[in-house]
Amino acid sequence: MAETTRVPGPWAGLYGGNARAVIERGFKVIRNQNWAVMVSGFFEPVFYLLAMGVGLGGLVGSVTGPGGEPTSYAAFIAPALLATSAMNGAIYDSTWNVFFKLRFARLYQAMLQTSLGPMDVALGEIFMALFRGFLYAIGFMVVMVGMGLVGSLWAVLMVPVALLIAVGFASIGMAVTSYLKSFQQMDVLQVALLPMFLFSATLFPIDVFPTAIQWFVQAMPLWHGVELMRHLAVGHLEAATAGHALYFVVMSVVGVWFTASRLRALFLR
Amino acid sequence: MTDGSTVADLGRFAASGRVPEAEVLARRARRWGWWFFVEAWLRGAKAWAVSILLYMVVTPLLYLTALGLGLGALVDRGAGSVDGVPYLVFVGPALLVSTVVMSVGGELTYPVMAGFKWQRLYYGPHATPATPEQIAVGQLVAVLVRFVVQAGVFWLLLVLFDAAPSGWSWLSVPAAVLTAAAFGAPLQAFAASLEDEGYQFAFVQRFVIMPMFLFAGTFFPLSVMPVALQWIGWVSPVWHGTQLARQATYGASEPLWLTLVHVAVLAGLALGGILVGRRIYARRLGS
Repeated sequence: MAETTRVPGPWAGLYGGNARAVIERGFKVIRNQNWAVMVSGFFEPVFYLLAMGVGLGGLVGSVTGPGGEPTSYAAFIAPALLATSAMNGAIYDSTWNVFFKLRFARLYQAMLQTSLGPMDVALGEIFMALFRGFLYAIGFMVVMVGMGLVGSLWAVLMVPVALLIAVGFASIGMAVTSYLKSFQQMDVLQVALLPMFLFSATLFPIDVFPTAIQWFVQAMPLWHGVELMRHLAVGHLEAATAGHALYFVVMSVVGVWFTASRLRALFLR
Repeated sequence: MTDGSTVADLGRFAASGRVPEAEVLARRARRWGWWFFVEAWLRGAKAWAVSILLYMVVTPLLYLTALGLGLGALVDRGAGSVDGVPYLVFVGPALLVSTVVMSVGGELTYPVMAGFKWQRLYYGPHATPATPEQIAVGQLVAVLVRFVVQAGVFWLLLVLFDAAPSGWSWLSVPAAVLTAAAFGAPLQAFAASLEDEGYQFAFVQRFVIMPMFLFAGTFFPLSVMPVALQWIGWVSPVWHGTQLARQATYGASEPLWLTLVHVAVLAGLALGGILVGRRIYARRLGS
């Protein structure tokens, strides 16, 4: 049991300085139970890449990539699939997983009976989600490099960017989850995620849409993640690249603040 | 169920003096037990009818717009046409079959386990003269009724999107429901055989349903893939169902023997699944 420290300032009562205990528990669970499920999550984007990139790629031919360069269809969708899988993983961890532990397993209530505060719980859970996302991103990068779909050294940055995307989605997802009462309400999240995946320039460029719909798509976070990944994959950096990254930085800051205040409302009544 | 109106109905029914003899009721339950389960399931389904209807309408709209029109623009520019038709027409019937099969994954995994374990929904009917075999069949038929509606809605949207030129396109609805039975019955038997829920359902989702959606000729003809991968289509109910639906919606040409193979494979899987499932339900419910 680590020494807990009293934390002053705005985090008083929220943070017990021992997120490590939550992380330790997370690794124990992985080791004992669900490593198989966890590992299998890696295959989903890879299956998509094989089916869409190779199978459909034969029908599509070449498409226009960042900066107007023609690129193979597989190279076009691979970065988008990495961004999508970062989103899906983060949303799954911060909604279903958190919801179950919050309302059914009552795990957080149990943790809060100890010297842990809500911030320890949140930080620990976010760390576990990011660890998983990190593994998937590395695995996917290996597949991309193996298939020759990476065109620049800048692509190395796709791994930390996957984590940035994950933080953005996870922090918002967790805050939203804190409002949910039933499993049925989870379907609403699905209704938001599926169109985002289908329309965010993941499988085809958005210029097939009318301008009004393009604006709408461009307001959605996943589109920025997809564009950012695509720029990095081929090393085409411009002002917009930084803009896309900034979107996720702002999203993460707002999300973490939002989640922290929700945790305060939930647990410190 | 302690619904006020139902109790009143029963009261009126009993007072009318026309309640059938106990043996008559038992005989009916023995003969129609599977249908009684379907009825009970459908009445229960009213609770989530709105969200399911929304799902039935919104999902096809999203898929048809994104994959049929959006991706279609890309494919039509690249390949001209697929199987002799615009991409939307090619992918439409496949999406119809695939979305129904993906819903099978939701209806015949956890709910089956819940019937035995969590909600113990199967034990109520089992206390009546209805047999475990009838409960097994009833569960499958009930879900198939939902899929008739779901496939019907999708077919209507196909027609609205101008993606079903043939006059026989409505036949894609029975094709999708048969496919759902071909995949659903074995899945139901598998779910019924599990005592504890671990990672099995997640694995089915990731290593059976998802690959079937992606590699069984939904988005591109099987022939585009290397031969080493084409077997995934041959053993997938989705490919057989999709090919049938394609013949129905735009008259995709295939030799007659292959069409017969599609029907035979789907019917065989459905029947085999039902037979095995019935035995597992009987063993599990202990009679």
